[in-house]
Amino acid sequence: MPDSFAVEVKDLSFAYGKDPALKKVSLRIRSGERFGIIGPSGAGKSTLLLHLNGILSGDGEVKIDGLPVTKKSLPEIRRKVGLVFQNPDDQLFNPTVEEDVAFGPLNLGLSREEAGTRVRETLKQMNLEGFENKASHHLSYGEQKRVALATVLAMQPELVAFDEPFSNLDPAMVKHLIEIIESLDATVILVSQQILPVMACCHRLAILKEGQVIGVGTPTELAADRGRLKECGLDVGFFCSICKKLNL
Amino acid sequence: MKHDYLDKYSSLDSVLHKLDPRTKIVCLFSAVIVVISEPRGETTAFLFYYLILAALLLASRIPVSFLLKRCLIASPFILMAALMLPVSFLLGGESASGNLNIGVFVFSLSILLKAYAAIFLLVLLTSTDKFHRLLKGMRRMHLPNILTMMSALMYRYIFIINDERLKTNRARDSRSPGRFRSGCIKVYGNQTAKIFLRSWKRAQTVYQSMLSRGFKGDFPEFFRLQFKLPDMVFAVIMLVCFVVVRVFI
Ligand SMILES: Nc1ncnc2c1ncn2[C@@H]1O[C@H](COP(=O)(O)OP(=O)(O)OP(=O)(O)O)[C@@H](O)[C@H]1O
Ligand SMILES: [Mg+2]
Repeated sequence: MPDSFAVEVKDLSFAYGKDPALKKVSLRIRSGERFGIIGPSGAGKSTLLLHLNGILSGDGEVKIDGLPVTKKSLPEIRRKVGLVFQNPDDQLFNPTVEEDVAFGPLNLGLSREEAGTRVRETLKQMNLEGFENKASHHLSYGEQKRVALATVLAMQPELVAFDEPFSNLDPAMVKHLIEIIESLDATVILVSQQILPVMACCHRLAILKEGQVIGVGTPTELAADRGRLKECGLDVGFFCSICKKLNL
Repeated sequence: MKHDYLDKYSSLDSVLHKLDPRTKIVCLFSAVIVVISEPRGETTAFLFYYLILAALLLASRIPVSFLLKRCLIASPFILMAALMLPVSFLLGGESASGNLNIGVFVFSLSILLKAYAAIFLLVLLTSTDKFHRLLKGMRRMHLPNILTMMSALMYRYIFIINDERLKTNRARDSRSPGRFRSGCIKVYGNQTAKIFLRSWKRAQTVYQSMLSRGFKGDFPEFFRLQFKLPDMVFAVIMLVCFVVVRVFI
């Protein structure tokens, strides 16, 4: 059986005004795969993510599960693709946690009862039982991040795309988040500048630099090509040397 | 950052807190209208109004000090309105002709009493229920959707804007030992612009995140409100009390 692709991006270019952010990007991500997109700041990672769910649209082709992202297919695309934004403040806009988590399912046309069940299940999955009626501005940053993830998971997307999921998290929370990500029954895309956690949990990675894909491979393959990682400011050698120094 | 200045007492467990938000909205706004409709110069009726208000406060279990603090915030405006009259009498030299009589002060006093009673009622309304329930009540009462949606987003973002303000304050103060050398107005102007731009950028991202979760222009409703017997009883008693005072006293 040929591989089925959850995401196919072909020759995608996009510019903010005159500044190009993506230049002829092509990528294929298999269904069920955990795929990392790493690259230095300003490489165009977030811009690429916004194309997967039709929030931005540039020149070129983006297909989700074989379905081209067009104006007409947007409702279907948004049902399939869940985006977890970097900053939970951007994602949480309802007065209570419960309403925020219910927002997506209700927009999918679920009844109140069904949405309620989804809310309960997802909050349980995220270890957030008892948070239903809290206001998101009363939560800690880590809790907000988990609620933000819950708002997306409640829609049961086939593809979950995370923008910088590991930023501002303490090491224990990074580990916890990796466990959650690994337990998801969906295709996962992780966009990050933090190369180690991404390498830890992805099957394959792509390196994006100045709007172009300059390499795709398994974590081991990419880690072997130190020269290229160094060139993109993503070298792991620095961390290795610290670990050595600390006898870890 | 943590904030509690908006919903500090909204989760107490009192008779008033248990009522349906719609009951409170209708009753308390009606009461405000009754109070405001008192004729100019009326003072005796307020004795009774304040007795009812005291009973409501007692029933709500909200501390008096909290209420007074809230009233204090509005005081400059109220005092200005109430003092306008006697002051203009004095400045107009009318007192010389013996016209600054007791009547003018009674008049001011009645303005004060009216204004504080109205504020008292609004503070009771906003602190005996969670903001999102009040919003839900407004929505269920078919107030324009755009109004409730804007209030909901404002409620959410007021905290973020305030956080931005605190963050920029810290950034500013940490780099400015003593006076600003580039001029105060410029610094504050820049800071305000920065807060504004950041909020605008954030609004854009939030909208994107709403779109990505299937937003189509309408906020879906999640929980139901229920109008029960206690709501009925409360509404009748409260409205009868206010109307009786208004009509007979
Ligand atoms: N709204 C915008 N308007 C104009 N230019 C933008 C906008 N958003 C991003 N850019 C520019 O597009 C380029 C790619 O930005 P993008 O946010 O996709 O990078 P990124 O790889 O996600 O970076 P980071 O890791 O710092 O988040 C950058 O040069 C950035 O300055
Ligand atoms: Mg980014």
